[in-house]
Formats: sequence, structure tokens, C-alpha cells
Amino acid sequence: MYPRAIPENRPLSRFAYGLLVALVLALWLLPLFAVIMTSFRSFDDVMAGNYWGWPSKIQVFENYAAVFQQSKMLDYFLNSLIITIPSTIAVLVLSTMTGFVLSRYPFPGAMVIFALFVGGNFLPQQIMMIPIRDLMVATGLYDTFWALILFHVAFQTGFATLFMRNFIAALPSELFQAARAEGASPWQTLIHIVAPLVRPALAALAILVFTFIWNDYFWAVVLTQSDAVKPVTAGLSNLRGEWVSQWNIVSAATILVAVPPVLMFFLMQKHFISGLTMGAVKG
Amino acid sequence: MNSVELIGLDKHYGQYHALKSLDLTIEKGEFIVMVGPSGCGKSTLLKTIAGLETVDTGKITIGGKDVTRAEPGDRGIAMVFQSYALYPHMTVAENMGFGLRMARRPKAEIDVAVRRAADILRITEQLDKLPKQLSGGQRQRVAIGRAITRSPDVFLFDEPLSNLDAALRTQMRVELSTLHAELGSTMIYVTHDQVEAMTMASRIVVLNKGAIEQVGSPLALYANPVNRFVAGFLGAPRMNFIEGTTTEVGTDDALVQLAGLAPLRIALRQGATVKTGDPVTVGIRPEAFAVGGSKPASCPARVRLVENLGRETVVYADASPLVTSGSDTGTRNVTIQLGSAVAVAPNSEITIGFDPADAYLFGSDGATLTPAKPEIQSR
Ligand SMILES: Nc1ncnc2c1ncn2[C@@H]1O[C@H](COP(=O)(O)OP(=O)(O)OP(=O)(O)O)[C@@H](O)[C@H]1O
Ligand SMILES: [Mg+2]
Repeated sequence: MYPRAIPENRPLSRFAYGLLVALVLALWLLPLFAVIMTSFRSFDDVMAGNYWGWPSKIQVFENYAAVFQQSKMLDYFLNSLIITIPSTIAVLVLSTMTGFVLSRYPFPGAMVIFALFVGGNFLPQQIMMIPIRDLMVATGLYDTFWALILFHVAFQTGFATLFMRNFIAALPSELFQAARAEGASPWQTLIHIVAPLVRPALAALAILVFTFIWNDYFWAVVLTQSDAVKPVTAGLSNLRGEWVSQWNIVSAATILVAVPPVLMFFLMQKHFISGLTMGAVKG
Repeated sequence: MNSVELIGLDKHYGQYHALKSLDLTIEKGEFIVMVGPSGCGKSTLLKTIAGLETVDTGKITIGGKDVTRAEPGDRGIAMVFQSYALYPHMTVAENMGFGLRMARRPKAEIDVAVRRAADILRITEQLDKLPKQLSGGQRQRVAIGRAITRSPDVFLFDEPLSNLDAALRTQMRVELSTLHAELGSTMIYVTHDQVEAMTMASRIVVLNKGAIEQVGSPLALYANPVNRFVAGFLGAPRMNFIEGTTTEVGTDDALVQLAGLAPLRIALRQGATVKTGDPVTVGIRPEAFAVGGSKPASCPARVRLVENLGRETVVYADASPLVTSGSDTGTRNVTIQLGSAVAVAPNSEITIGFDPADAYLFGSDGATLTPAKPEIQSR
């Protein structure tokens, strides 16, 4: 069955395989490549429609500096961090707690609560646009950091709870029985047993949630208005001029915006440790 | 003082009746071994004593205190799991000190307790290692050490040695017995292993289908099982059971007719309820059989299989029309255990025999009808 290694004695198949892999990779990376190249171009190139070719003049510093000079990119960046970091932390903390309780303490109604967490993920978020905007306006949170933080925490926690519940449920149940037999309270169990063992799951979740919140454009536009609150995704559109767009500058800004999620991945990578529960049970 | 008392424990898992009104009194310092077939409720009983499972009705006291509704941590128990259940992210020392740390004991006290336990179990060199860096036997010791540091009144062991190889098992068995002598705490120990049960227990509890069949010292249970179930459960190889009928019932003995043998005169206990013509089962331990015509009741048999274990020889012989029922091997052969290496050729014809005085008689309800036998045979 798939995936099956291609035998050594089929050079043609192996060659075709390598070629196809390269092709798929190229296709996949082509847009990114174009954006990177464009971020090096001069505005003249953009005007001339040279989007794919080699830049006639490479002006890396000019373009990237322009991002910060022509717009409040730095402010937007800060806004994004102010929204994304606390939201991500809150989602991780909350989902570890809900996941622990839902996976280890069967109480009446647990299934219903779990179903609500999961079901919330299946609602198309767009249909909630008007009610949520109205809610935020009514509560006076519209156009504040809180609007986006609260919204993202509420909606990311649903998926994160599903993820954490399943991960915690897969931990050996004897560990929890042992802790309980040793007199550990549920809080102590959460802090001393669960938290250290779910580190890989939290790292994966941190990347997902961070990227998701960081990249969100829709809700940023719906729930914010002023430059003092706007995250970088919404701010990016300010760079587009009214008549002509300086695509080279926009590209440079886009690349800058993509940096934090990538950094996040490398930061979290060392927590992806397999076999954390090795030695817990049996041979 | 009673250490653990179980009064009328009853538990259901949904529709399934897991524990059926269990009563048991355990004295301080006893080493209780619970045995029984798989699924009979041994682990369930242990978990209810630990407080990890609740009971429907009944009462549990530990050290005279009613703990039926108490949290496991407040019961003065420590449990050792079959699968060790070590915390994988903590070192051996942290594992062993966990319970005390959760109880917010001073660090110095924890250190002393951990050192002491490590000394007893000879794992002092391993204290800084993680569980995954240990061998199976060492892990088992850490699991036991974790129980010791909390100095509980009652230790609960759920098949703690079943993951170890035979040599390590023997070693740990001896160590556990020594530990028990050293600590003097009450221990309740679940096992499948006959040898563990016979050697470690001060009393054995035989469980079957969620109910206690018999409680008593290992030798008492072996010599005087109250019914066919206990007789068949203790002893490896298993007792031979041969179906027959009574042809004559006197005041203190009965004549029993077995296929292929002359009627046997077997003693009856006082008050044994059996009538002439009742179906009965005769039980004969494999070691009560002898090869050759020296015994009072004998018959010819053909050797089917010989297991020569060096120190002993187990012979499976087809003695039909004399046939056994419910044997380990699933055949109707008679199992004979001989005390040393004996040259018995497969397929040869031999004469097997036993002394009716060594036989047990069980009624149709399984109850033992023969009078008590001495626990130690005088020779
Ligand atoms: N959580 C549970 N839910 C439902 N039924 C259960 C549960 N735990 C145990 N049982 C049932 O209760 C019975 C007793 O189980 P238990 O684990 O006590 O058996 P055991 O005597 O320890 O067996 P073994 O020797 O195989 O470990 C079994 O029939 C099992 O199916
Ligand atoms: Mg069990």
C-alpha cells in the first residue's frame, strides 16, 4: 500500500518521482517566491508589470525601510503582539484545564459540554459577524484590544479543548489513579502531572493558535477601526494606495508579517519531544 | 486492633454485579493475598479499598476509622500498580517523594523518607535517574518505594510482579516478604501466581465472581478447601476431579462408585448432606497418585505425556473408563505428580493408584463432604 518505497532497480520511476516532488514543491512555493522577489523590486518594475522576472534593480533596504516610514507598521505590529500573545496563552491555559476535566472527570453533562466545545468549531464564523459586532458595540468593547482578545480566546478554546481532551485522555490512566491515591488534589494533579506531560501538545497548539490569531484578517476588520488597535493584517491594507499600489512595498510588509509565526515554530520546536510518557507503565 | 474491615461491600458496574456483599476482617500486620480467576473482581476490590472506586452499599474501615466515603489520600493507604504507574517526567527521588510533597511536608523530612526507602530497596544509586532509564525490576522497586515513603497503614499491591521475569520475580518475592517483616504494616496483595500466594500470605482470600469463597492460611486452604472451586484453584498442577455416585451412605462414611474402580469407602464430615445415589465428585491431588500397585485403589492407565521437570515429573495418563473433568489441559486424562525424575515412557502401560483417605469428596453443589485433613502430612 501507499506509501511504498520505489525499488532501487526502477531508475525511471525514481527519477519521475523526484521530478514530481520538485514540481509540486515549485508550484507550492512559487507565489511565495514571487512575493519575496517583488519585495526586492523597484516601483518601476512594478509599473512595468515585471512581477515574475528578475528585478531590474535590487532595493531591499529601501523597500523594507519604506514599510515602516510610509505606514504605522510598527504600531500595527505591536498591536498584533498585544492581541495575539495573551490570547494564545489564555487559550492554552483554558484548554488544558477544560481538556483535563473533560477527559478525567466523568460528570453528568460532560458529554454535552464537550459537544458544545466541538460543535462551536463547525459554525461558519461569518454568520456571527453582525451579532458579535453588535455585542462588542453594546458592551463598549468595540475597537479595543479586548474585543479581539475575547473573541479569539472564546473561539480558539473550542478547538483547543478538543485537541487537549484527546491528548490527555491518551495518557495512562494509572498515572492519575496513582496521583489520586497519593493524595494529590485535582489542581496538584493538573500542575504536577498533566502540565509537564502535555508539553508537546501545548507546543503544537501554541503554533496553530498563534498563527491563526496572528493571521486573522476578517475579525480584525470587523471589530477594530482605529489605528491604535488595528493588528498588522488589517494595517497591511492601509499600504495600498488609492489609485496605484506599491506592490513592492506591500510585498515587503507581507514578508515581515509572516515572520512571527515562523519564529514561533522554531521557538516551539524544541518542545516536540516524543516518548515523554516512556517508562511510566510496563516494560 | 483490626486494620481493615470490609462489611457487606456491594458494587455494580452498570448492570454487572462486580462485588457481592463482601465481608472481611484483616488484622494489623497481616499479609493478605487475594487470588481468583481473571475478572473475578480482585482489582475492583483493591480499588474500592483504596478509594479509587466507590461502593454501592457497605462499609470500609481502616484503622478503626470509617473511610467508606473518604478520598484515597486520606485513607492511610498506598497502592502499587501492576503497570508501575511511575511519573515519567520525574526522577526516581521525585517519584518517591511525590506523595509527601503534595502533602506539603518539609523538604528535609521528604529527603529522609526517600533515602530510607531507597536504602531498603537498594536503589540509592538510581535516585537521579528517570523511570525510562531503569530496568523493569528497578521500576518495580521505585513503585514500591513510592508507597513506602508515605508510611501508610495499609499497602495495596495489584499484581506487582507480573511484568517481571521468573528470576526477578523470585527475588522480589523474597524482598517483599522481608519488607513486610521489617515494616510490620498490613499488606493486601493480588496475584495470579500460586507460588506467591502460598509463600507470602499469612492468609489467602479466594475470590470467585465477586464473592469470597474461602479465607484461611495457605496450608489450611490447600489441605481443607471448603468447596470444589477452591480445591481446583489452589495447587498446580490442579486437583483431579472424577465424577461418580454414592452407592451407600453411612453415618461417617460413604461408598462411592467411580467408573473403572472398585467402590471406594470415603469418610464423611459431620453433618454432610448426601444421600445414596447422589452424584458426587471425587478429588485427588496429583501428588496423591502413585505409579505401581502399592495403593489401595488402583487401575491400569496408558501414559500420554510426560513432563520431566527434574525435581518432579508430571505424568498425564489416560485411565479410561476412569476420566477426569474440568482439567487444566482440557483433556480427560489423569494428572499424576511424582516427587522426582522418574523414567516413564510415553505410551507405556502403567498402574496408577491412590489411597481413598487422601481423596476429597464434593457434593453436587460443590461443597466438601470429607472431614478436615491434617495441614502437614506426617510421614
Ligand atoms: N470500569 C469498569 N467498568 C465496567 N466494568 C468493569 C470496570 N472495571 C472492571 N469491570 C468488570 O468487573 C469485573 C472485575 O474486574 P477486575 O478488574 O476487578 O478483575 P480482576 O479480578 O482484577 O481480573 P484480572 O485478574 O484479570 O486482573 C470484570 O468482569 C470487568 O469486566
Ligand atoms: Mg486485575
